[in-house]
Amino acid sequence: MSTGPADTRSPHLDLAELIAEVTGQAVADQARDHLAQCQHCRAEANRWDRVAGGIRGLATAAPQAAPPGRPRPTRPRMLAGHRRARLAASAAAALIATAAAGYAVTAALTRQPPGTALTAVSGCAGFEVATGTLRQVTGSRLVISTASGPVTVTTAASTRVSMAGALRSDITDGAPVIVLGPRSGGTVAAATLTVGRLPGAKGAPKVTPPPGWAAVWGTVADAGRAGFTVVTAGGTRVPVTTSRSTFVVVPGARLGQLQAGVTTAAVGRAGRGRVLSAIGVVQQPAGSQFRVQFHTPVRGCSPGSLADALNAALAGRG
Amino acid sequence: MKDPDRDTGAATFTASRDGACDDAASLRRIGQGDEDAMAAFYRAHSRVVLAQVLLVVGERALAEEILQDTMLAVWRGAGSFRGESSVRSWVIGIARRQTRDRLRARRLRVVDDTFLAEQAGSGPGPDVLALDRAELAEVMSAIRELAASHRELLGLVFGSGLSLPEVAGVLDIPVGTVKSRLTAARAALTGILSEKGQNR
Repeated sequence: MSTGPADTRSPHLDLAELIAEVTGQAVADQARDHLAQCQHCRAEANRWDRVAGGIRGLATAAPQAAPPGRPRPTRPRMLAGHRRARLAASAAAALIATAAAGYAVTAALTRQPPGTALTAVSGCAGFEVATGTLRQVTGSRLVISTASGPVTVTTAASTRVSMAGALRSDITDGAPVIVLGPRSGGTVAAATLTVGRLPGAKGAPKVTPPPGWAAVWGTVADAGRAGFTVVTAGGTRVPVTTSRSTFVVVPGARLGQLQAGVTTAAVGRAGRGRVLSAIGVVQQPAGSQFRVQFHTPVRGCSPGSLADALNAALAGRG
Repeated sequence: MKDPDRDTGAATFTASRDGACDDAASLRRIGQGDEDAMAAFYRAHSRVVLAQVLLVVGERALAEEILQDTMLAVWRGAGSFRGESSVRSWVIGIARRQTRDRLRARRLRVVDDTFLAEQAGSGPGPDVLALDRAELAEVMSAIRELAASHRELLGLVFGSGLSLPEVAGVLDIPVGTVKSRLTAARAALTGILSEKGQNR
């Protein structure tokens, strides 16, 4: 963009700045200020964001990476010569060994008999987990496309729904928010955000930021594409910046907020005909490395077991 | 964030990012035969590499084979990493070469990069409106119809976490060319979306 009278370049953000904004990379304050004021550049950023969304959607829909070293029946290049084959086989054997530690637990927890779409929750009789890609939400029902076909999930008013990801559009003025991220010059660069009222929460949240980071909570004001202001209970205003890498958690989401095409897991009691009566539904991008915690008391099942099952299911997809 | 809503009765998330390992140090350990380091490396990079390769080849089985070949190459060649690029761009560069070799072996026709680079971007125009109006599923579908080179570029820029200079390094082209190809790729995408919109 233009930086002075002698600069004849476009007054708008250049492509590199737009891409940096969309991908959550560092953007100069001047560029960010311009973006906040320029309708043309915001429209361009939104268009690139749509392209990026398509790529992310395809990545989310991509299958889980298979554990390394799986024997392949047809590998013509490995048959090109005995020496080459021996070298490759040797390396593959090493990879099989390295894979064992990393994948054994996940595989054991998520292994499904052929033809089934649900995974039993260990230690919780009658409870099962369905995981896959959310296909659609209709009223109080949703359909998850699993590896072995669609599963219908029914929900009730008591069903807990949580979602997480790059959900910056959920940050709106007046929303309660908890922000965690590195602080610089009074501004917090949001790494993680929790948006919305936490059901049953009382008092200040228990948040312990790492060294150099800050945690602030209050309500959102002046929400914009590049950030917002947190107004604390004491009236202090803390500027917060957001980016594509900001991970937003909505612990009390509505079914209608869930996004089709995103990895989703539901836990509950299985019924006939591939139907699950859910007590909890979780949606988050595959590979997010964020762990779900489940605190709802359930007869005959510990919340920890439910959380472990959900995390294993989500990890299996990620 | 440390359990901000304990006792709330909600299924919630806590921030426990544990993937922030030192990739370069990890590669050094892999070069010394550390199998745990290799497993960690696989966990850290396999999904992004697989998604990128799948975006280009469009075939799951082939993409998984290329991923395995890539990780084999990492296992064997970790000691050759000189730190001149990020580890992510290094491994994606390996995956790209593996992909190219496989596609050559299959004699698949890949649209010539030079041709694509010469396609002018549309700039703001009627086609852009198709992008503004498109649903996510439509954009995803249109991306699948793009030429492999365009899909690869968009994946590198938006899916791999690489900066434009790093993408330029992976593709071995100037940053300016990355930008012009990006513009061309978006023009092609909007063209597809526009055409689909007219046919609805």
